Amino acid sequence: MTTEKNPTPQQIKDKDFDLIQAINSGEVDKFQDLVKRYEAKLYNFSLRMCRDPSDAEDMIQDTFLNVFRYLKNFRYETKFKNWLYKVAASTCFKKRRKSKFAPDKELSLEEFLPNDEAEKPDHVPQWALMPLDKLLNEELAGVINKTIITLPKKYRMVILLRDIEGFSTTESAQILNLSPSNVKVRLHRARLYLREKLKGYFENDR
Amino acid sequence: MTGDDHHDHKHCLEMFEKLSEYIDGELDHATCAKIEEHANNCVACFSCMETLKRTVALCKNVKDQPIPQEFSKKLQEIIRKVVPIS
Ligand SMILES: [Zn+2]
Repeated sequence: MTTEKNPTPQQIKDKDFDLIQAINSGEVDKFQDLVKRYEAKLYNFSLRMCRDPSDAEDMIQDTFLNVFRYLKNFRYETKFKNWLYKVAASTCFKKRRKSKFAPDKELSLEEFLPNDEAEKPDHVPQWALMPLDKLLNEELAGVINKTIITLPKKYRMVILLRDIEGFSTTESAQILNLSPSNVKVRLHRARLYLREKLKGYFENDR
Repeated sequence: MTGDDHHDHKHCLEMFEKLSEYIDGELDHATCAKIEEHANNCVACFSCMETLKRTVALCKNVKDQPIPQEFSKKLQEIIRKVVPIS
């Protein structure tokens, strides 16, 4: 007879643990506090996912309603924040609304390959060298947000989670039910896409 | 024409594929060293790496907008309808 048992999965006691415990043990009106904690983060995430502000509002509402519905099943196996984004991502993917801005096409690595010999740069462009805080003004932030929205959804979701929200590769993979290598592939293409657009912006506008 | 041609297009492609993992510190030591060596000898790849690094840094530093008060209130009301008062 073996003494080995299924180890009980470790519970992650993050900053939301106590609040969720309270909600799940009957203090449901505290759910508003949980919403308050995350509404601004989710608002920005949804705006970047949906582009249309009213779609973004729908996405946040649906996400929080789903969170409320399923909170009893939350087992603290990840941080609550990660679970919240998982709910948000699946809420967003279920809305099968086709975006006219970002058709769901594949991005291939080939389309971003460095230019031909003839066009190869012989120096690093200024925008990659100057201090970041001098470079990143409101206009550029707008360009970045607008460019991200033109990415096909599956790439957009990954670059948002990794580079905007700051989740790790492993966390993003869990949130999206993808393999880590799949996350990496999508992230790389999304970044290369954005880099191309930024290059265009800096070369044409200055 | 570039002067010294000990630079091989194959290395450019290998490096290009791994740039994001390099930037994220997800590669082993040997692979990193190879990439750095190549980047030191190939301006095109070095430039590609720096602009991609910058792209990532920009994303990481884009500021969030505040949530509109009006929407925050609306959200509260919607949730109040669903969440029973204890
Ligand atoms: Zn090269």
